[in-house]
Amino acid sequence: MFDLLIFVALPYVALLSLVVGSWVRYRTHAFSYSSLSTQFLEDRWLLWASAPWHAGIIVVLLGHLAAFAVPGWWTAFMATPAFLTVVESVGLLCGWMCLGGLVIFLVRRFVNARLQAVTTLADVLVVLVLMAQVGTGLAVAVNHRWGAAWAPGALGPYLHGVLTLRPDVSVLTDMPPFVKLHIASAWVLLAMFPFTRLVHVLSLPLRYITRAPQRVVWTSSRASVRFEERAATDNERRLFLRAALSAGAGVALLSMGTLDKFFKYFLKQDLTEDEQAHLLSAKLRRLKQTAEERELELERMSRDAILVAPMAELSTTRGKYFIDYQMRPALAFKDAEGLPIVISAKCTHLGCTVGQDVDAQGRILCPCHVSYFDIKTGQPNLGAPAKEALPRLGWALKDGNGKVLLVQDPSGGREGSAEPGQLATSLLYILKRYA
Amino acid sequence: MDIRAHLSMVFHLDKCIGCHTCSVACKNIWTDRPGAEYMWWNNVETKPGTGYPTLWEDQLNYKGGWMLGADRKLRLRSQDKKDFLPKLFYNPNQPGLDDYYEPWTYKYQDLFDAAAGDDQPTAIPVSKITGEPMEIRSGPNWDDDLSGSPIYGENDPNLKALTPEERQMMFEIERISMMYLPRICNHCANPSCVASCPSGALYKRGEDGIVLVNQDKCRGWRACVTACPYKKIYYNWKTGKSEKCILCYPRVETGQAPACFHTCVGRIRYMGVLLYDAERIEEAMKAPEEGLVEAQRSVLLDPHDPRIVARALDAGIPPGWIGSAQRSPVWKYVSEWKLALPLHPEFRTMPMLYYVPPLLPVMGRQESEVYGHDTGELFASIDKARLPIRYLASLFSAGDPGPVRDALRRLLAVRIFQRSSTLGDIAPEQASKVLREAGLTEDQARQIYTLTALPGPEDRFMMPPVQREESIENTCAPDQCKGGCGLGPTQVPERGL
Repeated sequence: MFDLLIFVALPYVALLSLVVGSWVRYRTHAFSYSSLSTQFLEDRWLLWASAPWHAGIIVVLLGHLAAFAVPGWWTAFMATPAFLTVVESVGLLCGWMCLGGLVIFLVRRFVNARLQAVTTLADVLVVLVLMAQVGTGLAVAVNHRWGAAWAPGALGPYLHGVLTLRPDVSVLTDMPPFVKLHIASAWVLLAMFPFTRLVHVLSLPLRYITRAPQRVVWTSSRASVRFEERAATDNERRLFLRAALSAGAGVALLSMGTLDKFFKYFLKQDLTEDEQAHLLSAKLRRLKQTAEERELELERMSRDAILVAPMAELSTTRGKYFIDYQMRPALAFKDAEGLPIVISAKCTHLGCTVGQDVDAQGRILCPCHVSYFDIKTGQPNLGAPAKEALPRLGWALKDGNGKVLLVQDPSGGREGSAEPGQLATSLLYILKRYA
Repeated sequence: MDIRAHLSMVFHLDKCIGCHTCSVACKNIWTDRPGAEYMWWNNVETKPGTGYPTLWEDQLNYKGGWMLGADRKLRLRSQDKKDFLPKLFYNPNQPGLDDYYEPWTYKYQDLFDAAAGDDQPTAIPVSKITGEPMEIRSGPNWDDDLSGSPIYGENDPNLKALTPEERQMMFEIERISMMYLPRICNHCANPSCVASCPSGALYKRGEDGIVLVNQDKCRGWRACVTACPYKKIYYNWKTGKSEKCILCYPRVETGQAPACFHTCVGRIRYMGVLLYDAERIEEAMKAPEEGLVEAQRSVLLDPHDPRIVARALDAGIPPGWIGSAQRSPVWKYVSEWKLALPLHPEFRTMPMLYYVPPLLPVMGRQESEVYGHDTGELFASIDKARLPIRYLASLFSAGDPGPVRDALRRLLAVRIFQRSSTLGDIAPEQASKVLREAGLTEDQARQIYTLTALPGPEDRFMMPPVQREESIENTCAPDQCKGGCGLGPTQVPERGL
C-alpha cells in the first residue's frame, strides 16, 4: 500500500505538478522566472558551489537520461568492463562534485549577511531536497555497485511503466531502501519544481545559439508591413529549425526505451544473408524458449507435483537448475546422506540467478554483487549485499510406481521414510501445496 | 539601404557644472526601489577618475563590447555564442556589488528616540541590503571633484594614452584640471548588451532606437551586465532581473524630454532624431580605430537630402519624424558641425549619445593674453592644453587626436568670431580667417553660438510629434509604478514557494 502511494500516486502527482505548475506559472507569473543569481552579492564562494554543482549534475542527468532512453545500447556498452569502470568512476566523481557544491551553496547562505537578505525558506528547502537526492544517489552507487549496468534493466521497466501509464511496482518491491529513497525523492523534487527557483532549468537559453545577434522590435503597423517580407525568409528558416528541434526532442522523450529499436530497425538494412540467418535463428531460439516457458507455466497450473529430476542425477557439488511454481529459478542438490536439498536460486538482493557450483564451505555464489549463500540454510555470508536467506522449497520423493516415500515442507518437517536403497532410484518432485 | 530613425542625444561638456541634478531626478523617478538602490542609470563622473562602477572603462577586466577578430569579424569580447553556456553558471568578469558600492541609509529615528544623555545622538549608517550597521567605504561619487586623487585619478584607464610628463602635468598642484562626464545609457545602434542576451529579453525598439529589457523575458543570466562596455546595465539583486536606462520612454511617448534632460541645470543636453542606414552599421564598426569616428558619422544620413527623405517615407518613417530629424540639434552637432563625438567608439557599439568635448580646461593653460591674434598661435594652444588632447582622444575618438582637435578648433574659432563681433578687439578679417581655417562659415558660427549659449527647451529638445495611435508600450505612470519593479509590471516578484 505504502509502495503504491510513493511509487504510483506520487509520480503522477509530481508529473502533473511539474507540467501544469510550470505552465501556469509561466503564463501568469513570467516575471518571476529567473535564475535568481546571487553572484552580484557574493561571488567568491559561488564559484566553488555553482561550477562543480552544475557541471556534475549535467553529466549525471545526461547519464540517467541515456541509460533510460536507450537501455539496449547503454547496457551493450556497459558489458565492456573498461567502459563500465569509466562510466561508474565519472558518475561517482560528478556525484561528489554535486554534493560538495550543494554543501557550499548551503553554507554560504548562512554565513554571508548580504545573502541572508535574499534567502527564503524555499531556497534552503531546494538545497536540502537536492542534497537528499544526490546523497541517496551516492549511497546507491557506493553500496550497490555497477548501477550503470544493472539499473537500466532493473529500474527501466518501472520508469517506462509510469510514462506509458502502466505502472508496475513489483519491479521495485525487492529493491534495497537506498534505491527506493532515491526514486521517491526524485518525485518529490519534480513535484516542488514549479514552485521554486528550479524553474530556471526550463529557461536554458539554447535558442541563443541560432538567434541573430541583434533584436529589433517593431510595434507600429507600417513598420511591420515593411519588414515582414524580409523577416519572413529569415524567420521561416529559424522557425523550421526550432520546430524540428522541438519535435525531435519530443520524440526522443516519448520513445524512452523504444528508441534503440528504431536504430536496430534501420541498421538491419545493411545485414548480409549470413547475419540475417543468424538473426533469424536467434529469433527462433527465443520463440522456442518462450514456448518452453509457456509449457512450463501450463504444467505448473495443471499439476499438483512436478518432476525435478531422478535422485541419481543430483550431485553434492553442482546443483541442478529448475523452475519452481512461481516461474522462478531454483536449485536442487544432494546432501551427504543422499537426501535432496531444494532451494530458491533467486538472489534476495536484486534478483539475479545464483550460481550452481558449491564451494568448499558448502556455499553457492551470486555473481552480481558477490553474495555467498549456504545451501543447507540458505543464509548469506556476513557482509554480503544480500541480507535475507534464500528460501527453501518443499519437496516429495516418489518411487518408480508413483508411491510417495518421503515429503519435506519448506520449514524442514518430514513425513514418511525411505530406505537407502530406495533413495538412489527415487524421483524428486516439488509440490503445489508448498508453492 | 535600410533607413531607420533614432532618438539621439548630445551632451555639451563645456556647459556641465557637475551638479548631479540629472542623477537625482532619475533616481527619484526610477531607481528608489529595493534592489535598485545602488543603480544610477544617470551618473556624473569626474575625469580623470575611475568612474562608476570602478574602472568601467577597463575592458581587460570587464570584457565588455565588441572586438575585431583577425578574420575581420565583429565578436563580443565575452559572452559570445561559444562561451555563453559555461558562463551562465559563473561569470568571472561580472562586476559585483563592491565594484559599485553598498547602498546605505541612516538611522534617523535614533535622533528622536535616543535616551537623554550628555552626548548628542547620532544617526549611524545602516546597509540598505542587510539592514545592519556598516562602515561606509565607497559611494557612487566617491571621487567627485577629484577628491581622493591621486588614488582615483591616477587609476583612470585613459591615462595610459599619455606620456609620463603629460600625466605628471595633469596632477600638478595649481595646474590640476578636470572635467565632468555625465553618463546615461548610450542606446547604441550596435548594442553588445542586446547581442549578448541569452534569453532575447533585451531589444532595440525599431521606431526610435531605445534599448529596453523585457522584464518578463529576462531570466537573470546577467550576460548583458558584462557585455555592456559602459556598464549601464544593472542587476537588480532583489528581483533577479537586469534593468537599465529606458530614456524615460513614457515621457518621450507623451512628447516630454527625459527627466535628466528636462532637469539639466547647465542645459547641456540636446535631443533629436537622427536618420541612419542600419545596413551599413556592421561594416562601419569594422573600421580601424583611427577611422571609427568618421565611419560612425558616415552611417548617419542627411535628412535634408530629398532622396533620403523620399526613401525614409518609403520605409514608413512618419513625416513628423523626418521634420524632427531636419531640425534636430543632434544632426547639427554631430554631422553638420562635427563638434560632437561618441564616447569610447573603440568599443564598437556605435553609441548614439554624442559629447561635445570641453574646451574650458583646455584653454586654462593660456597664460599671457587671453586670446592671441595670430591664428597659428591660437590653435597651438589646443595642443599645449592642461587637459592633454590625447586624454580627450582616448575618451572620444579611440585615441585618434584628429577628430578631437578638429572639434576643439571649431569651438575656439566660434569663440574668436563671437569676441570679434561683440567686443571688437579682434579684427573681423582675422576672425573670418580663423573660421575658414576651422572649416566653418560665419552663418554656421552664429548658429553654433545660438544653439550652444542661448537655447530654449524647444531648441534643445526636438521631440518627434506624439503619435498616440502608435503609442508603443502601455505602462502605468511612474508614480504608480513605485514599489513595483518600476518598468511596467507592478507585481513584486517572489523568490519561490
